[in-house]
Amino acid sequence: MPPIAQYVFNGIVTGGILALPTVAFSLLWRLLRFPNFAVSTYLTVGAYAALALNAGARAPLEAAWLGALLATGGVALAVDRIAFRPMRDRRPFSLAIASIGVAFVLENVVRFVWGNDFRAYDVPVTRAASVAGLRIGHEQLLILGVTVALMALAQAFLLHTRLGVAMRATADNPLLSAVKGVPTNHVIAVATFGGGALAGGAGVFLGLDASIDPLMGGGIIISVFAAAILGGIGSAPGAFAGALIVGIVEETGTLIVPPTYKTAIGFVIILAVLLVRPSGLAGSRS
Amino acid sequence: MRTITRRELLTRRAVLKGSAAAGLVVGVPGMLSAQAKAPINIGTLCPLTGAGGSYGPDMQRAVVAVVERINKAGGIHGRPVQLFHEDDQTSAEAGVRAARKLIDVNKVVAIVSTWASAVTLAVRPLCVEAQVFLIGVSGADAVTQGEHKGYVARTQPNTKLQGSMYAKFVVSKKEWKRVAYLALQTPYARSFGDAFSGILRAAGVTITDDLIYEDKKPSYRSEVTRILATNPDLIMLEGYTPDSVVMAKDIYKAGYKGAVLAPSFAVNAKFIEGASAEVSEGIWNMDRAPLFDSPAYKDFSAAVPRNDTSPYAPQAWDQMSIVALALAAGKGEASGTVIKDNLRAAANPPGTVVYTFAEGAKLLGEGKKINYEGASGACDFDAIGDILSAPFAVQQVRKGKSELVTIINP
Amino acid sequence: MIAYLTAILTLVGVRALLTLGLNVQWGLTGLVNLGAIAFFAVGAYTSALLAVGGVSLLLAWPAGVALAAGAGAALAIVALRLREDYLAIVTLGFAEVLRLFLLNEAWLTRGANGVTAIPRPLHAWFPSQYHLFYLILVLAALGLVYAALERVRRSPFGRVLRAIREDEVVAAVAGKPVFRFKVQAFALGAGVAGLAGVLFAHYLAYVEPNMFLPQESLYVWLALILGGSGNNRGALLGSLVLLGLLEGSRFAKDVIPFLTGVRLAAAQQILVGVVLVVMMIRRPEGLLPETPGSK
Repeated sequence: MPPIAQYVFNGIVTGGILALPTVAFSLLWRLLRFPNFAVSTYLTVGAYAALALNAGARAPLEAAWLGALLATGGVALAVDRIAFRPMRDRRPFSLAIASIGVAFVLENVVRFVWGNDFRAYDVPVTRAASVAGLRIGHEQLLILGVTVALMALAQAFLLHTRLGVAMRATADNPLLSAVKGVPTNHVIAVATFGGGALAGGAGVFLGLDASIDPLMGGGIIISVFAAAILGGIGSAPGAFAGALIVGIVEETGTLIVPPTYKTAIGFVIILAVLLVRPSGLAGSRS
Repeated sequence: MRTITRRELLTRRAVLKGSAAAGLVVGVPGMLSAQAKAPINIGTLCPLTGAGGSYGPDMQRAVVAVVERINKAGGIHGRPVQLFHEDDQTSAEAGVRAARKLIDVNKVVAIVSTWASAVTLAVRPLCVEAQVFLIGVSGADAVTQGEHKGYVARTQPNTKLQGSMYAKFVVSKKEWKRVAYLALQTPYARSFGDAFSGILRAAGVTITDDLIYEDKKPSYRSEVTRILATNPDLIMLEGYTPDSVVMAKDIYKAGYKGAVLAPSFAVNAKFIEGASAEVSEGIWNMDRAPLFDSPAYKDFSAAVPRNDTSPYAPQAWDQMSIVALALAAGKGEASGTVIKDNLRAAANPPGTVVYTFAEGAKLLGEGKKINYEGASGACDFDAIGDILSAPFAVQQVRKGKSELVTIINP
Repeated sequence: MIAYLTAILTLVGVRALLTLGLNVQWGLTGLVNLGAIAFFAVGAYTSALLAVGGVSLLLAWPAGVALAAGAGAALAIVALRLREDYLAIVTLGFAEVLRLFLLNEAWLTRGANGVTAIPRPLHAWFPSQYHLFYLILVLAALGLVYAALERVRRSPFGRVLRAIREDEVVAAVAGKPVFRFKVQAFALGAGVAGLAGVLFAHYLAYVEPNMFLPQESLYVWLALILGGSGNNRGALLGSLVLLGLLEGSRFAKDVIPFLTGVRLAAAQQILVGVVLVVMMIRRPEGLLPETPGSK
């Protein structure tokens, strides 16, 4: 039986990867008032955008990652314009269903172009280093580092920039914000682009840590959902904490439950949180 | 609308008359010449896409090549063979729908070259019910068990046999004392694992872990963590190419320095490309060996040029040849029942050894007994449709290519 | 060709039955169920396993339906207190967990192997035209269930369900035990889905976990949304249109040569997704809006 520390570390890495889309998912939910299932597919889009740049155009992975951020942000904006804007005044459930349709389309566009095979980036495969009995991979540290940096940036943006403050105001009270002159459409566009970019960046991480295939985003939607609800919808720190907890619970859970039931763990978390404390750790219900 | 010229009218009448006459000839039942030309329909159901997608195209080509030869040799009892191809997408449900079409719409008397066990198992009841003969390369034990009335056969050793062959190889390599079994969720994972582990345990090898993993996961980190914690010298990785690539990379990334053994149908050129030469270096892989020396194999290689030495296309070649010979051994009627009744007459001893349809059909025509030996092996079937055992080829990946190391005989 | 059409129509009939089940939950009562395929699977597997175990179909079939309804009731009791966008993910998660259960608990479900050689009803009576018999069986079941559900819709029970769909609070204030009604409606819908599953399993004579992927639930939703939710006729129409879309695009490969295999499947699914989004934006009430008399 390996030390539980290895599982916890693995969980932290998983949680780190989940954190970016969870923050995007959580904040967008608060702002636009519906769970956007397409967020998990933005991961897939980002991963493949980077693949196209890296394996196709031979760009180094760092550049491909930046390209993925921009590309996914753009796709998210386009999706919002085409699918969600015409439905701004509808009930959340209708938007959620529409977002499922969008997710389906994005996943299959990727599948149409690249097929179902698992792909990988053009980077050397490295062996993990053994540090204090733990196996720690070079990419894993990189992912964690960049994720934490991005989280800090996002939080700073929300708290200290005018646009960030405007975003929080709009999320709290859209009507009042509009009356007070906060440019709602502008705010939504920035949030959507930013959320999409974050998710796209996470997609590259996931592709680096695991593999790239059309189902990669869809495979984590339940975990993202669980993390967002656990952390409390609308709170970025909450989302981060929720993602870490979900990651750790999923990984350590494989000690008790067969690894094949990992998705079930996320599901149980969702149920438990919703039944016991729906507002999650840090969020407040709208 | 312009009026029709007299010339056009005459030509039209001539055409109509001609076709009417032709129609009369074809349409009237019982006319011997028409009956002799009616084709015999055979279906292929291969994985052209999906997890088995690397193998389907070659298998299909092998069947096409055999049929070309059959028709050139005059067909079966004078009747040409007509092929209908379907892609099962390596999915049971797609396979069932495709088989329905082959059986109901195309009215095939046999379905050949199925690959995945799940597909063969799903399609089996349809074939048995419609009395259509089914022959493929699927290894799951369940394929030939139970009630199939003789309409099922396969040219690949069953998984119990396979498990024992792999175990034999492992035992022969005395340095592997701790073995972990890591298998993909498939119909044969359990029976293979049990056969494999049973023999190893009896030989004093420790089975350190036994883990069956789920398909289509982008990462297997937790599974790998668990397996590596038991300190194996050898990991027996029984999966298909896509998941094996992910698993091999995760095993490598976790710092495992021991040996890995996998089936060659998983660790193929596509695997090496996907996992990288570095990760693949040293991976042992084995599979049933095609009969490289047999004249049938040489014939096959000339007709079906390809990049790998997987055993499936040669088996598809043999399956079509055997089905054709079984029909030729009958009286002229073509049906799954005729194939079933004459399968062993065509493929098993006693009889003169033949390597092609043409040879066999000629001897059958003279009333002699035959024994087909093929590109994939001796092709002798037992009572339930399994082949008697076969040699296995053991390879190892060296510098980005799998190289033959040894042959394990039964 | 006839046999092929018979097979397609039989599958349409089974899907339509499943859609009717979802309609009871969503269309009639306003309960979100993104995991409809789970109850379909429960019905299919229960009946299949019992039947291959030697149990008479007269017992196995009702057992399949009953267990599906029971599973529906159980899920409802746990989850129906949640807001609808939460309920969406919970029902989706349930379907996925069930599929993992079917895949992994091989001691019970035969795992990835699936259940083969499922006995078919009255097979010996119709040696030649069995497919036709089964089609008639499915259509008869469809007809009976449709008639029954129409009666439910017009009954006092149905009116309460519709009131709950429109405004739960008002219904509660009017003294109705809202939660109990919701559970009953959900279970009823699940039972109908289970019946569809039973018919499916005994038709194909084979079931395996990958037949019940989460995206199948999405297809059922699409059928409902296309046809017009709240509406049993809409459910039937939607199923027909949907299968037309799916099977029709199979023949597209004859016209557009490079559309084969994965590309074709992906193109079909893009079509499904696009139609879903467009319907939600432009015509959420569906092709056949609910008839005035039923309000």
